[in-house]
Amino acid sequence: MGTIVDLSNPAKTLKCWVELYSDKLYTWAYYKTSNRETAEDLVQDTFLAAVTSFSKFEGKSNPQTWLTAILNNKIIDYHRKRIKDPTINEASQNLPEGAAFFDNWFDKNGSWLKDQQPGSWPNTAEHLLDDNNFSNILQLCMRKLPGNWLSALQLKYLEGKKAELICQELGIATTNYWQILHRAKLQLRKCLEMNWFKK
Amino acid sequence: MKKLMNYLMLSCKKATELIEKKSVTDLSWKENIQLKVHTKMCDACCYYQKQSKEIDGILYKYVHNEEATPLLENKLLKENILQSLEQ
Repeated sequence: MGTIVDLSNPAKTLKCWVELYSDKLYTWAYYKTSNRETAEDLVQDTFLAAVTSFSKFEGKSNPQTWLTAILNNKIIDYHRKRIKDPTINEASQNLPEGAAFFDNWFDKNGSWLKDQQPGSWPNTAEHLLDDNNFSNILQLCMRKLPGNWLSALQLKYLEGKKAELICQELGIATTNYWQILHRAKLQLRKCLEMNWFKK
Repeated sequence: MKKLMNYLMLSCKKATELIEKKSVTDLSWKENIQLKVHTKMCDACCYYQKQSKEIDGILYKYVHNEEATPLLENKLLKENILQSLEQ
């Protein structure tokens, strides 16, 4: 490990870390943002942040762990900003905004429209994500969601905290948060059903 | 009896909302009962609940890139970062 962490020579050490870890960090960021350009920007920012806070790295932790921690903060910040970005809402994906969204799913009494009723799915394989075809369809369906919905969804799995806590940090109402999740899930479920489970 | 039924009645729209709410926070006592009663009677929402949980499991694994996610190589990014570190 001595060659990887030369604390007396930050520039050399960081270059070495870029060689060793940039692909790993990029992969990590990609699966948490579903966007290549975003993942690239975040990894680049992570290394720049590592330069300025290099003195805080005391060689006690594994460099990859340290860099990943910086990256994780940046990923969560990214989603927080996007949830509140009004330019990437329903309209950006040609979805009806506000209450009109639900007209695609439910009648005026709130019952499922006949052709939207969920039915049974065939038994799902245990390791679906190992199947490249499924992964591709999942990515496609995620990309079809408005950016702020996708961020709300990804934050849910990334943070693993109660909604109250996430919303407090985001400065949005809890009601607002699960209503976004509701819309995102209806849309994503339908997309997966049409393209995979009932194809 | 009718009063009690009305009190417990939920629309499918509201039921699916509660299913998603339940996945991130606690439901009130009343909401819990309402949801239980509704999914007992409504097949479509029962399927929705099951599938919503399945999707949660899949997305959790996806976001934390568990399972066999291939390493994505990005040489250009590597070069760009090395260059920005020079400055």
